[in-house]
Amino acid sequence: MAEGSFEKKPRPILRPIFFLLLGLHALAVFLFTRGFLLTRTELSSYSHCHDLPSPNPSPLLLLLLLLPLLVLHEIEIGIEIEILLLLLDAGRAPPSIASSSSFDFVAPSTFFEEKKPWMDKLRVLHKLASDEGSSARIFKAIADPPTTSLQRLKGLTTGGLPTFIDVGNSFGAPAIIEDNLIHQLVKNGKRVLMMGDDTWMQLFPEHFEESHPYPSFNVKDLDTVDNGILEHLLPSLYKDDWDVLIAHFLGVIEPMKNRIVQPISRHIFGVDSTPMIKKLEQYNSILETWWSSREHLSYCDGDHGQTLNGDHGGGTAEEVETSLFAWSMRSPPSSISSVLEENMCKLNLDGEKLCVGTMQQLDFAVTMAALLGVPFPFGSIGRVNPELYALSAGTWDRQRTDAENCKLQSDLEAWMQNYANVLCINCWQVKRYIDLYSATSIIGFSADDLHFVTDLYERALANCSSNTKASCLFGTGVPKEIQDYSVSVLQSQIDAYSHFLESVAKLARSAWTEFDLLLMGIGLGILLLSIIIHILAATWVHILFQSYLKEQGIPGLSYRYFLAFLLVAIRAASFLSNSYILAEGRVANFLLGTTGIMNLWRSVEKGDLKKDEFAFLLLNVIIRFGIGFGLSKQTGGSSYLVSDSLKFVGINEGHLRWLVLEIFPIVFLSLLFVFLLKCIAHVDMSRYMKYFTIMGTVLSYVLIATHWASESILIFISPAFQGIGRNLAPRLVYAIGFGILGLSVLSRILDMKERMTVSERLTNSTVPMLSAWSPTILILLGKQGPFVAFVCIAGAWCIISSSKKFLSGTKSGTLGGLAVDPISVTQWSLLAVCLFYLTGHWCTFDGLRYGAAFIGFDHFNIIRQGILLSIDTFGVSHILPILGLPFIVALQYHDSKKGELKDAILLNLSQVFLIYGLITAITTTFTVLCATIQRRHLMVWGLFAPKYVFDAIGLLVTDALICLAVLYYY
Amino acid sequence: MGTARIGAAAASALHLLCALGVAAAYFLAQRVCLLDLVAHTAQTLRLFLVIEAPITIGVYSWLRRDTHGCSVWKAIGRGLLALPIGAAINAFGAIVLGAPVGVKYWTVTAYWSLLMSLFTFVPAACAFGPSRMDWQRILSFSKLLDAVDYMISVPAYGAIIGAWIGAWPMPLAGKDLGRNGQSVSPMVQLLDI
Repeated sequence: MAEGSFEKKPRPILRPIFFLLLGLHALAVFLFTRGFLLTRTELSSYSHCHDLPSPNPSPLLLLLLLLPLLVLHEIEIGIEIEILLLLLDAGRAPPSIASSSSFDFVAPSTFFEEKKPWMDKLRVLHKLASDEGSSARIFKAIADPPTTSLQRLKGLTTGGLPTFIDVGNSFGAPAIIEDNLIHQLVKNGKRVLMMGDDTWMQLFPEHFEESHPYPSFNVKDLDTVDNGILEHLLPSLYKDDWDVLIAHFLGVIEPMKNRIVQPISRHIFGVDSTPMIKKLEQYNSILETWWSSREHLSYCDGDHGQTLNGDHGGGTAEEVETSLFAWSMRSPPSSISSVLEENMCKLNLDGEKLCVGTMQQLDFAVTMAALLGVPFPFGSIGRVNPELYALSAGTWDRQRTDAENCKLQSDLEAWMQNYANVLCINCWQVKRYIDLYSATSIIGFSADDLHFVTDLYERALANCSSNTKASCLFGTGVPKEIQDYSVSVLQSQIDAYSHFLESVAKLARSAWTEFDLLLMGIGLGILLLSIIIHILAATWVHILFQSYLKEQGIPGLSYRYFLAFLLVAIRAASFLSNSYILAEGRVANFLLGTTGIMNLWRSVEKGDLKKDEFAFLLLNVIIRFGIGFGLSKQTGGSSYLVSDSLKFVGINEGHLRWLVLEIFPIVFLSLLFVFLLKCIAHVDMSRYMKYFTIMGTVLSYVLIATHWASESILIFISPAFQGIGRNLAPRLVYAIGFGILGLSVLSRILDMKERMTVSERLTNSTVPMLSAWSPTILILLGKQGPFVAFVCIAGAWCIISSSKKFLSGTKSGTLGGLAVDPISVTQWSLLAVCLFYLTGHWCTFDGLRYGAAFIGFDHFNIIRQGILLSIDTFGVSHILPILGLPFIVALQYHDSKKGELKDAILLNLSQVFLIYGLITAITTTFTVLCATIQRRHLMVWGLFAPKYVFDAIGLLVTDALICLAVLYYY
Repeated sequence: MGTARIGAAAASALHLLCALGVAAAYFLAQRVCLLDLVAHTAQTLRLFLVIEAPITIGVYSWLRRDTHGCSVWKAIGRGLLALPIGAAINAFGAIVLGAPVGVKYWTVTAYWSLLMSLFTFVPAACAFGPSRMDWQRILSFSKLLDAVDYMISVPAYGAIIGAWIGAWPMPLAGKDLGRNGQSVSPMVQLLDI
């Protein structure tokens, strides 16, 4: 072996590289996250009865507010005594009509440049809206992106803006914890009847007096939900056992909840959109039935539109423009109609004038609350829409709404006074929310923004009292000039309030719903730069290693490097597809199997076949089935996972099954325990350290068994023992692990075993490090832990064995041109990914195993439970693989004299860490790239963003662990 | 030891014969038997096997390396013996890469594996028998000697690469388009012949 001509110690040179990469990655992730992830804290405060926007409705008012509310796209009907919300989900229309926004369905075709087949189908709405002195209006309702269905429902009922935290659960549909319209209705004694899309039941699980939910996920079923609604809706209209009726139709359906199935429905429905048109005609006939009864006032509202290719969830005009139709049975006074005349008006097909208003999604909740006389939802930042509010002016009892000392006012002034009062409360409610939000949330508004908002609010309130006086000047004897003056004062007051509310909404939008592309671009750029530096660093280490061995050759041209790069590139490119993100475990397993077959092939080619290669392939099959069961757990929970696997091997329900469930983990744990003891016994470390490690490991495993026994249903255990086993045992395991970790670090600092070779010292440092972490990770993983640990150990052993064989065969007597086999490091990384999925994790927030955070603890503490959850999430996929990486290097030098070459081994180890970090960085960069490209994709908040969060944190954890490992092992 | 030496033209002609066997099987399945590879996977694969096996075994037995020490019948026997052994190895590889396991899949996997064995193991077994050196030369691909070596290794590599691409996890197609799992992707391999 050539003696080293490399005189500089690699230690001081190499360490900064890893810290530099950590810094770059942290900066990139920070910047990208600031630009990409929108954050808003949900406040759990609720409005109360004394926050009512208007006086309680009088009996007359109640009668006049009898309004069926028809919302096109997702309609809600509201009636104060009967509010009917009809939700037609236009976002689920077949892709053949996907070029439409739901506004197309309601507005006449004369409002558009080109007529489409689905236009002018709801003729009854046109007729109502265009009648002389009509009390009906069509509105263009503008939704706030992201426009996924769930977020629309949340936005409509809470009056807030959807953000990442909201939409992170877009397809999990958790109950709304914020104050919302439905909550206020129920709290104020309104009976709410719901029928249709079962998403409502998930959002409002306990709010409905009566409900008829129907599953909305069936792609091919156009009629079940609609028929179910029709069965209950028409009879309900003639009953008086409800105050608010929500009927959510799905019939025009394209299942937008799951983007994956879109291509299927394209195949089903073709391009002529016939089913959609039929459905629209059916809805038209339903509306005509209601119209003929003339008992209600209705609103039609679209939830969200969709783009030409059937997407929605984004923020393009096509996606956010929806429609709303409103009708009151009593026309507003003619003077108030001037407010409505501000609308965009055109002639319809029959040559009649038809006006279309505009309404923001934000405004829906407060406007409805104002009309129905319930408090505004606490977190709403919307403004009471003047046009919709004016439409119901004909239903007011002015005597009740005027100030006591000025009974007689003109209709317009009375309406303006009333509207100004409502806006006043509206402003107060929004200001209260903004103040509380800034005071309680982690990322509130900036001080400048708050000052600006406060200034606007104070200006709006400044002349409130003078307006009140002015409003009382009206009367039959008051000159017209004074009346005009009063109207103008009221108008300025309304303008001031509106200005304040619009400014707040604009501020909130910029803070919560807009991507900062510049920051995202800079973050991505830094990530790409870090990859270049990473590659340069790896090449440099390779050159150093070669110069140390005095070998010639151009680094990086080995076919093994090419294959490793190809594998990583394939895996990284798969992240650009949502389906492959969902199947990431399968892809990683497939690539791992491919590497196994390649190694086997090579062994056969060389005539040096070993059982390790077969064992690795068998292990891959086991991992594959494990990942399959892990995926099935997404719907069934861990018990489902186990029972499913038992069914697979033919074990049925009963005691035998539970016996197997209880016994198998203990058997695996015992085997693991024996194996670890054997390993530790062979390690040559200091006597005290060895003694403590062995004793700690023994005690930890006994405590893990005790913990499981305390939760067993097979054996009777006294409550006192249960208490010890349940909480004390896990805490002791954590403490012992921490103790061993501290001791091993201390032992490394003191560096007591100078007589050992570097490879021996590397092994002897790695074993206690893994011994310190493994019991904690095992107990957090639960009863699957020992089995997973076996898979992990066996996989690692096969990879090391393969690497050793490959490197020993490169050149006789030397290490060859390669410092390390890149395929082995890639396998190590793929195995780590497989283990993540094997342990029942997946890259969404409901993929976190929250139960693990409470092993040993009954109460929640953000730091403590956060640490435990992090260890559970990243333990088997990041902590153990990275801290175990030195084995790849140490064991290949183990039997040779080369183990004494300190610099060579450390260079080798550096290269292993660099390659491993590079693999993680490349895949994370693709995830970031994917999140950037797909930021307006329907699944962005349900899939791409959680994937980004997991990968970004994973990258930082990887870098941090590598830095710690560099400090510890070097 | 006598060895079969053939020129490029003869090799191409023989190879074309094998390819015609596949084409004939495909034609028969599609036009005569009205079998669809997706809907009637097992039957279609069986038809391919029945038609292609005699052609492949016959051709490569005739091309056997040791013409003096090994009769045609012996080479055919080696090919027939290699067929199930190669199928077992192929099936194992397919399962490693994601082929479904279960009673209802085993016939399809078995036929697919036999067909794959026919393209990978059987030609080499017929031509070389148990000669370790020849097998290693075929596996390493870079040390091929003559036209027979190419005739054996190129289709085998094509079939394996095709099988690997066909076995690629397809989250949508596998679940929603009615495909019976990953192992059923022989068309890709067939096209590689």
